[in-house]
Amino acid sequence: MTETPIETRAPGRWARFRDSDFFYAFKRSPVALVSFAVVMLLVLSSVFAPLIAPTNPFDPASLNLMNGFTPPMEPNAFTQESFLMGTDDQGRDVFSTILYGMRISLFVGLSAVLFAMVLGIVLGLISGYFGGWTETIIMRIADVQLTFPSILVAMLIFGIAKGFTPVEYRDQMAIWVLILAIGLSDWVQFARVVRGATLVEKSKDYVAAAQLIGRSPWAIMIRHILPNALSPVLVIATISLALAIIAEATLSFLGVGAPPTQPSLGTLIRIGQGFLFSGEWWILFFPACTLLALALGVNLLGDWLRDALNPRLK
Amino acid sequence: MLSFIIRRIGQSVLVLLITGLIAFSMFRFVGDPIDNMLGQERTLEDVERLRAQLGLDQPFPVQYFKFLENAAQGNFGVSYRQGRPVAEILLERAPATLELAIVSGLLAVAFGIALGVFTAIRRNGVAANVIMATSLIGVSLPTFLIGILLIYLFSVELGWLPSFGRGDTVALGGWWTTGFLTESGLKALVLPAITLGLYQMTLIMRLVRSEMLEVLRQDYIRFARARGLKERTVNFRHALKNTMVPVVTVIGLQLGAIIAFAIITETVFQWPGVGLLFINAIQFVDIPVMAAYLMLISVMFVGINLIVDILYVFIDPRLRVDRAGGH
Amino acid sequence: MKHVLPAIAAATILAAPAAAKEFTWAVTTDPQTMDPHAVNSAPVLGFLNNVYEGLVRRGKDMSVEPALATSWEPIGDGEGWRFTLRQGVTFQDGAAFNADDVIFSYQRASNEASDTRSWFAPVREVVKVDDYTVDFLTNAPNPIFPGSIANWMIMDSGWAEANNAALPDKENGNFATLNTNGTGAFAVTAREPGLRTVLEPHAGWWGAVEHNITRATVQPIQNPATALAALLSGDVDFINPVPIQDVERLKGNGDVKVIQGIEARVIMLGFPHEAEALKYSAETGDKNPFADARVRQAIAHAINVPAILQTIMRGNAEEVSQLVSPAMNGYSTALAARPAYDPEKAKALLAEAGYADGFSFGLKCPNNRYLNDESVCQAVTGMLAQVGVTATLDAMPVQNYWPELRADNFDMYLLGWSPGTFDAEHPIRFLASTPNTEKKLGSWNFGGYSNARVDELLPMIQSEIDAGKRQAMIDEAHKILQDETAYVPLYVQPLVWGARANIDLTQRPDNFFILRWVSVN
Repeated sequence: MTETPIETRAPGRWARFRDSDFFYAFKRSPVALVSFAVVMLLVLSSVFAPLIAPTNPFDPASLNLMNGFTPPMEPNAFTQESFLMGTDDQGRDVFSTILYGMRISLFVGLSAVLFAMVLGIVLGLISGYFGGWTETIIMRIADVQLTFPSILVAMLIFGIAKGFTPVEYRDQMAIWVLILAIGLSDWVQFARVVRGATLVEKSKDYVAAAQLIGRSPWAIMIRHILPNALSPVLVIATISLALAIIAEATLSFLGVGAPPTQPSLGTLIRIGQGFLFSGEWWILFFPACTLLALALGVNLLGDWLRDALNPRLK
Repeated sequence: MLSFIIRRIGQSVLVLLITGLIAFSMFRFVGDPIDNMLGQERTLEDVERLRAQLGLDQPFPVQYFKFLENAAQGNFGVSYRQGRPVAEILLERAPATLELAIVSGLLAVAFGIALGVFTAIRRNGVAANVIMATSLIGVSLPTFLIGILLIYLFSVELGWLPSFGRGDTVALGGWWTTGFLTESGLKALVLPAITLGLYQMTLIMRLVRSEMLEVLRQDYIRFARARGLKERTVNFRHALKNTMVPVVTVIGLQLGAIIAFAIITETVFQWPGVGLLFINAIQFVDIPVMAAYLMLISVMFVGINLIVDILYVFIDPRLRVDRAGGH
Repeated sequence: MKHVLPAIAAATILAAPAAAKEFTWAVTTDPQTMDPHAVNSAPVLGFLNNVYEGLVRRGKDMSVEPALATSWEPIGDGEGWRFTLRQGVTFQDGAAFNADDVIFSYQRASNEASDTRSWFAPVREVVKVDDYTVDFLTNAPNPIFPGSIANWMIMDSGWAEANNAALPDKENGNFATLNTNGTGAFAVTAREPGLRTVLEPHAGWWGAVEHNITRATVQPIQNPATALAALLSGDVDFINPVPIQDVERLKGNGDVKVIQGIEARVIMLGFPHEAEALKYSAETGDKNPFADARVRQAIAHAINVPAILQTIMRGNAEEVSQLVSPAMNGYSTALAARPAYDPEKAKALLAEAGYADGFSFGLKCPNNRYLNDESVCQAVTGMLAQVGVTATLDAMPVQNYWPELRADNFDMYLLGWSPGTFDAEHPIRFLASTPNTEKKLGSWNFGGYSNARVDELLPMIQSEIDAGKRQAMIDEAHKILQDETAYVPLYVQPLVWGARANIDLTQRPDNFFILRWVSVN
């Protein structure tokens, strides 16, 4: 996934990349192009949120409560101010809040999946390759982990973190707790699938051959076994990224999400669903659409990536 | 094989003990049960007395061993909130969750595999791509929002289906109650089952598709086609069968996820199952209920994992050799 | 419990009789027990008021009216109260009611195992005069005693003893936790805790029947959106509360109606009076700015309560200047003005106190306890930021909230208080008295506010018989609390009930839902 056009700037590489099958397939797939464009647009607009957003919704001093519940593109009855996507109950500009909230959602989602993936792959490889007590211990830990709904893991980590975080860091604590909680509840999926693939690959002749010529276990695992497990890992990782963002929303529904003063996209949806019946549709509609576009884009891109990166599907 | 199973059961017991320990240590962070048991006019003295009565003033290991000792005898204590034995409460609530989980699980597996196979075979077809894209919408919104939107559409706007609860139930045998036998029970099942099964369905579908696509590229499938076997036979007898290892793993995992996700669905639909019980228990810091719920879930998960591991051995004979100690 | 389940299953399958007036009402919190003495909480007492009765009860306007006692009068010069009991009353199991049940219920409710014990703190002794006369002797003259026991419910001594429920058992539960036998207008015919509770009229009830209900079901629904959907789709007939933001929409819907009123609950901000230093502040060092009354006044002036009421509460609440709402006994009419919203004055007061550049601190807030509590705290944070005081909002579920407050983990907090006695003495006792475990005073005074004169006034208020003198004392206490800005009272929480259009009912200001005032048309 690191082979995106943006990051490869060196001319030699760029030329090679431009001529590659991968890039050719990318250019030829309308789904890939559109979803890539959508995801990039969303990612960039959240990265540059402070430049794009008309207001800073995270600065409480800038809010005017009397602006609350202004419909999109209509002047507020008291202040005569008008907002592209309206305002929420606190008088926050929904458009700005979405941009800032998406930053948090993306950061939480990417970090949690990365954390889960690295942890899951390492533990899955180890347990599948070495077997024996190592496997037993890891897979039993996985069992314990699976036993606890992510919600509960999050609550536990929240509770503990509250007790141990120094006062001045409490503000940022919620984000890290979410990453840890979502990541911790996700790694098992990666581990189980990688272990399953490892068990299958391990018994194949090429692994035996590699062992015979004295390659280190880690080299075998990473060079030979891991690529074979990548397809299911990618499927899971794709869905996991979208899902991590959504898991954050779910946790906030249960009261352990990003704080309402610095809301993520999920927190915005949680707040917005309270206004579903009351007529202030924009408070829910715009954040939900943004989340949908983001998650859908990531998923479609992942779908395409998986097909494109899989040599056996050529 | 037998020794493998025995060993796994031994490990399972250990898992349960650790689960209990973790569950127990987390309770002190969930809140203080006392506040929910005493009213607004309580004094600090009342608080301390009740704390002592419940044994909450005891050191943590003492509480944990007392819990284990009782749990081993099948006694999960008495709910702080309801003042009834926890085992009784769980038994009363279990049928609702199990029926919901079974229906959503079956929906997810049936539609997931069918659509997965379909989208794999018709990889480039318009219908397959539409299915792939729309299935993603279902996993791109949080469950609670999907549930609320379904309620809004089908209960409030259209008035077709009930907005909450389980409808009328019929008692079967001693303690099982079923919603399968009444019209209102079946109606009440529709929205929660869709809400709960949607994500699992999409995941299974995508996984089946991706595995299918890989298998269909394999030489033996090409060979089978070349031999002139019917397309149906190739697709279902050979290809589908060989996609089943990872699919069974994931289905096993997802069964667990269904139980965990049931917490959200049950909260949104006020479905009277153990998930709702658990959320209520968190809300009221009902430690005995939380502990028993977690132990129940662990027993279930450990069981599912055990079955998946055994199925592995049956589906993929190479693993059996492996288990037996190498080549 | 086991015997109840098959009965419910059977009952739900049977078709209802033709003329049946069935009524389903949704509650956010299931009453956790059916024992009227085990838990002193609004969901429990509110529900059980339909099943059990006290010597006195509260009418539609909260006035104290006869129930199981037909009359009461003071004994001597403030020695206590004499209650004359109603004759010919039967419990739902057919047993007759008399003075022995009153004595038994007193012993039960004032026992250490009961949560309602504090109601009887002023009582020295209860004496049975004859089968239908009971004397309550008090330690000191107690003018408000009859009203203070309106939620004290009478249980049949024979029934309780026969079923081993002579005392409430909070820990393990007992027969009375799940079963009821009151004298009230309705009897519980099925009880599935957390799922549903079914009520049917008590045929032998002594009172005049106003309702037309043949069967009522209490259905807990936790998620507000689900409850609202259930009301809109007609799956339930009544919900409480209606989310504030949906009130306008419901008013425009012909199938449902909204019943609004002012609740007894005052929402206020509290301060850490006793704290040496702030806990969540980077720069105030070892100082506690809130110990300075000018800073507390600045906070009061910085908060734009009308704006909060206008937007977040959608015009459904009223601002308040003291710890009780105007509907309560003992409200100080002369002190009705709340500090005006004046950010400039707030800044000036802060500068005067030495905080011209403001300071930062931590605001604790529940997010599932009061109506829109989190939104209100968020708005408060914004308004304080505009006068240079930066609050870090920490909102949490109520189960974590009280332990945090008890552990003094706050620099400012949000609290709602509803006086169970409907009297101004109640918040003075619980919120404004110097905390004293022995005397059971100030048990919810988390910030440790202390004022010698208020402490002196409280026992005087408690025992003053003359209404005018008593009001003067309450006014004095309220004046002190206002001048010192011990708390910043914000507004009185509204009551917002929603019902199907064909339901007639009466809303009582204590938010108790009284089934015998309901009729289904």
